[in-house]
Amino acid sequence: MALPIMKNYINGEWVESNGTQIGNIKNPATAEQIAQVVFGTADDVEKAVQAARKAFVQWRETPPLTRARYLFRIKDALEENFEDIARTLTMEQGKIIDEARAEIRRMIENVEHATGVTTLMCGYTLEDIAKGIDCTGHRQPMGVFAGVAPYNFPGMVPWWFLPYAIVTGNTYVLKPSEQVPMTQTRIFECLDEVGLPDGVVNMVHGSKDVVNAILDHKDIQGVSFVGSTPTARYIYKRCGETGKRVQALGGAKNIVGIMPDAKLNEALPSLVTSFFGCSGQRCLAGSILAPVGEAADLVVDRFVATAKNIKVGDGLSDFTGMGPMASSAHLDRVLGYIEKGIKEGATLVLDGRDCKVEGYPEGYFVGPTIFDNVTPEMTIAKEEIFGPVVCVVRCKTLDEVIKLINTRDFANAACLYTDSGTAARKFKYKVLPSMVGINIGIAAPMSFFPFGGAGNSMFGDIKGHGQEIFHFFTDTKVVIERWF
Amino acid sequence: MPIINFGGLLNFAEAMEKQDMEFYLSIASNPEMSDLSDLFQGFAKDGKKNIAHIQRTRRENITEMILEGITGFFRKPFVLEVKDDKEMGRAQILKYVDKMEARAIAYYTEGAKKIKALPEVSMALKVAGKKRMAHTQKLSGS
Repeated sequence: MALPIMKNYINGEWVESNGTQIGNIKNPATAEQIAQVVFGTADDVEKAVQAARKAFVQWRETPPLTRARYLFRIKDALEENFEDIARTLTMEQGKIIDEARAEIRRMIENVEHATGVTTLMCGYTLEDIAKGIDCTGHRQPMGVFAGVAPYNFPGMVPWWFLPYAIVTGNTYVLKPSEQVPMTQTRIFECLDEVGLPDGVVNMVHGSKDVVNAILDHKDIQGVSFVGSTPTARYIYKRCGETGKRVQALGGAKNIVGIMPDAKLNEALPSLVTSFFGCSGQRCLAGSILAPVGEAADLVVDRFVATAKNIKVGDGLSDFTGMGPMASSAHLDRVLGYIEKGIKEGATLVLDGRDCKVEGYPEGYFVGPTIFDNVTPEMTIAKEEIFGPVVCVVRCKTLDEVIKLINTRDFANAACLYTDSGTAARKFKYKVLPSMVGINIGIAAPMSFFPFGGAGNSMFGDIKGHGQEIFHFFTDTKVVIERWF
Repeated sequence: MPIINFGGLLNFAEAMEKQDMEFYLSIASNPEMSDLSDLFQGFAKDGKKNIAHIQRTRRENITEMILEGITGFFRKPFVLEVKDDKEMGRAQILKYVDKMEARAIAYYTEGAKKIKALPEVSMALKVAGKKRMAHTQKLSGS
């Protein structure tokens, strides 16, 4: 049977790219090829941008409430196809089906939040800024925006931006991850059903050439990106050179502190989810476990015992607790970090390297892996591993945990488990990362709060979703009026 | 096999409701049970509603912040062999119906306890279970 080939979506039509480079999409649980994608070219980007430019003229004049009604229709289409989208996501990315469902839910929540445009896009007015002179700030759409998405959340991440861009009257060009293009293609099939005017949303598959064409295109007003820190920095810089707005979210090295007074029974399930959920392939995953003081032995023992019981396998099975790595290249990368940890002298207390899953001999599996006695200087304590590898850095005090957090290169998220309000207050006040969890292992802001880190975890000033995103996608035009 | 997560718990509930709904639809048209046809038609309708309710819960009440595993919950006590009512007598059918209802109530009661970390899901299971409790009352009054 012929494999499905992912097409571009430009000006309301599914079109083939003129590119010649083909990407093979594999199911990471089986290593079986399930689809192909043709990598687009600068020419494809040009066509998409021109379609978006043309559509912008009428779309910006469409009343915001009418634009919001399209989003209600999009929501309905996504709800109707929810399970199918989630299964597609699991098949191409590997995460377990519940994680895929949670991702699609969050995606839809962004559509829901964006429908608040008639409140959230409002400008402001002040009369008599000088005698007889009034001043009004209008939020206006700017034109064509673009998004570049990562492989770990192929469904949700583009929707941290896209619904807000279009509901504010802009038009959009999206480049999904070339590694996992099927999910967004399935989502665009839903979009295609709702009758958006042609050219309002466009999708171009591809790799670096497409990204560069987006970054350099003079008609694109701004770019949203989520991915690794080196790429985020590159995009930020290049967008700066071409005068674009940019929000570029990068990597993470999240630390989870556990105070001796933490309620361990209650904390343990969420701790385990924090470190091993999505097989550690998420920017909010716990990476360093930092138990404090006399609690450390107990915390580590119980954490290891719980992690041992996680069943690794195909994400589509109801009996799987953790899926594979998203690709064989990434599996190799994670295994490389484990080797590095051993070489640098950390104690490997749970080894996930030789992870065999019955019936899935070719899958990209690595089991839960835990290093104890990791020191802050070790590579595994500094670099983003992006896999189910936990580094235990034992700390004597809360101050030591905070210092550990604030001396990492990344500043995405940080969590603390404690029963003390004083400790919690000090922690959230002093840590640099801008997504903080207290007795929560995944500090994931919902659509109505901003998502993004600080330091090398985020380049740009306006984060994903939240209320501020309406500012990213609009220009505030100030009108000063005086009538004689 | 254990039920280890949110999806597994709701998928089992959906499969259980489907199995029961199909049996009710079948016995509603079974001449042997003609006096109870309306009752079983109603039960099948409830099953359809419960399936929609469970699917909606699976779509809407999931959050990655609280996607914690479930422990100590197994399918085995809640698995009921699929039966063909054409090969059963009236008494056997009624006995089987009682079994179906009892296992559904037990499943929803136990499931609601196991998924307390997600209170909306726990509540949704209780609501589905309540519908099945109403069945047992109707059966005892019929």
